[in-house]
Amino acid sequence: MRIMVSRRSLETATALLTGAFGAAVVVSSYGNGIGWSSAGVDPGTFPFLVGLIILSGSIFNLAQGWLQAREVVLRPSELKRLGMLFIPAAVYVGIIPLIGIYAASAAYVFGALAWHRRGAFIFSGLAAIGTAVALYLIFELMFQISLPRGLLGDALGF
Amino acid sequence: MENLEALLHGFTIALSGNHIFLMLIGVLLGILVGVLPGLGAPNGVSLLLPLTFGMQPVSAIILLSCMYWGALFGGSVTSILFNIPGEPSSVATTFDGYPMARDGRPTTALATAFGSAAFGALAGVVLITLSASWVAKVALAFGPPEYFAVYFLAFASFVGMGGSPPVKTLVSLAIGFALAAVGIDTVSGSVRLTMGIDELVKGVSFVVAVMGLFGIGELLIAVEDEFHVKAISSRVDWREVFRTLIHLPRYGWALLRSAAIGCWMGITPGGPTAASFMSYGIAKRFSSRRANFGKGEPEGIIAPETADHAAGTSALLPMLSLGIPGSATAAVMMGGLMIWGLNPGPMLFIEQKDFVWGLIASMYLGNVVAVILVLLTVPVFAALMRVPFFIIAPLIVIICTVGAYSVSNSYLDVVLMMGFGILGYLFKKLHYPLAPLVLATVIGDKAEDAFRQSMLMSRGSLSIFFSNTLVTTLVFLGAALLVLPVIWRAVGKIRAQFAPTR
Repeated sequence: MRIMVSRRSLETATALLTGAFGAAVVVSSYGNGIGWSSAGVDPGTFPFLVGLIILSGSIFNLAQGWLQAREVVLRPSELKRLGMLFIPAAVYVGIIPLIGIYAASAAYVFGALAWHRRGAFIFSGLAAIGTAVALYLIFELMFQISLPRGLLGDALGF
Repeated sequence: MENLEALLHGFTIALSGNHIFLMLIGVLLGILVGVLPGLGAPNGVSLLLPLTFGMQPVSAIILLSCMYWGALFGGSVTSILFNIPGEPSSVATTFDGYPMARDGRPTTALATAFGSAAFGALAGVVLITLSASWVAKVALAFGPPEYFAVYFLAFASFVGMGGSPPVKTLVSLAIGFALAAVGIDTVSGSVRLTMGIDELVKGVSFVVAVMGLFGIGELLIAVEDEFHVKAISSRVDWREVFRTLIHLPRYGWALLRSAAIGCWMGITPGGPTAASFMSYGIAKRFSSRRANFGKGEPEGIIAPETADHAAGTSALLPMLSLGIPGSATAAVMMGGLMIWGLNPGPMLFIEQKDFVWGLIASMYLGNVVAVILVLLTVPVFAALMRVPFFIIAPLIVIICTVGAYSVSNSYLDVVLMMGFGILGYLFKKLHYPLAPLVLATVIGDKAEDAFRQSMLMSRGSLSIFFSNTLVTTLVFLGAALLVLPVIWRAVGKIRAQFAPTR
């Protein structure tokens, strides 16, 4: 797999993203009312203007990004490293509603360490348990913030 | 002189074994909440509050205020070492503190931050000592137009500087304003920009945005390179700590200026966050080493840290003398004051002399204790930088996730945080500046409220921003900060054209 990402496509994608956000802000705040009424400046006025700025700025950035040279900003090796960090992190966040933050964090730490230090399962396991225990001690006991247990926790009654 | 006498009396109260012990406990707990993102000084002080109900008011306020100092110091630690600001007010410290630590000088970065923070705090306490009774009058002159003018000044001093493409800066700033507007509008009570997601009524928390943009975003940038952290010397060099501290006076002008900005923003409720951003912006504009900012310039650490602590300290002044808290933490402490049976306000200085001057004396001592404790723990924090990247990376993801969740016990915040992470990566990669976005997210809604309230007062006329000397001066200062760089640049260009070719 040899995918390369050019600056042009990255600029385009970002400008489209911010532009879509700007458009959403404009549409949404228009519903709040814009302009001046008996109650002063209407609530939608300010976000409406801000949304217009985002939208027009994004269009400008889109045009400028499109005109820019097609230099490569992400090589395959860099993409691979990015993926190896981001995909597990996204999976970690994704499984929190299912198995809760404690189990997910432990699994994430175990996975990451076992992957990098192949064979060091005891070390990785200890680090994983340590992470979960530390989270419990600091948040649950010291600061009395209840972290989510997920569906698994509900099933176990924890 | 009367104030000095009272202060000496205060020292006799604060300098007891019991109170010193409370200072140690307070500072240590404060450093802990400061280091953990998502937990901040307001949370920590709130959690300790129930423990203080049975205490003497002086002991109670000493414990709580020392926790506040500890949290201010602790917030800088994660900003510098991991680029995760533990406190909103330490965001500006990441701009130069993190690059310096990454370049293999974490000890220098931390020592610079703590040294200038101590100076800022000292400036704040001295100010309180000297002007406790006088300041009440100035702060009473602050209405919505003046608030707006102060926020305008903060934006003006920060925006429009630096080498980022102007349109990208504008988009970044506007996105910040839009994010600040999400949720319930405090002026009209209507719900804005929730995009059909009911949970967004509570708004987009600043902490969630910052942890994604800086924590996750920076992680994604860092992982691209093969070598993540340069080899850092195996032990903390104490001589390096002292050398850094001894060299601090070389930045005397920056220290004084930042302390003045901080004190001003703390008394007028601009708050520590706006103060640190503004101080950083001004330092960058006037420094002869502008190009170095963002790459580990010491002045870029000194400016925000000094202002942050000066503002955090002097924010207690309007709370005590007027009952107007200058920061969220001061607001929680004011709640405590009332529970202990004291009424904040000018009368406090007359009726509760022991309490007020005991507290002020404890500020001097508490900050000394905080500096010593935090310097002693530098080796522990610096050692964290030597942990291999593949261990640190998942830990940062977990800290950001748990931190985002604990802001308001919401899973949506965790998802938003990851989204901000991607945005932060894209913005950083494509040279969109992140600082304007963050600043607008933090004080954008306050600025908007102040503007709309001013408009209500004047029935839509902008003349209210020129109605008295204070507000006019602020507006003109802000406008000058916006326009001057453009003029300077133009003059520079003209001069370059007419300059004889060498």
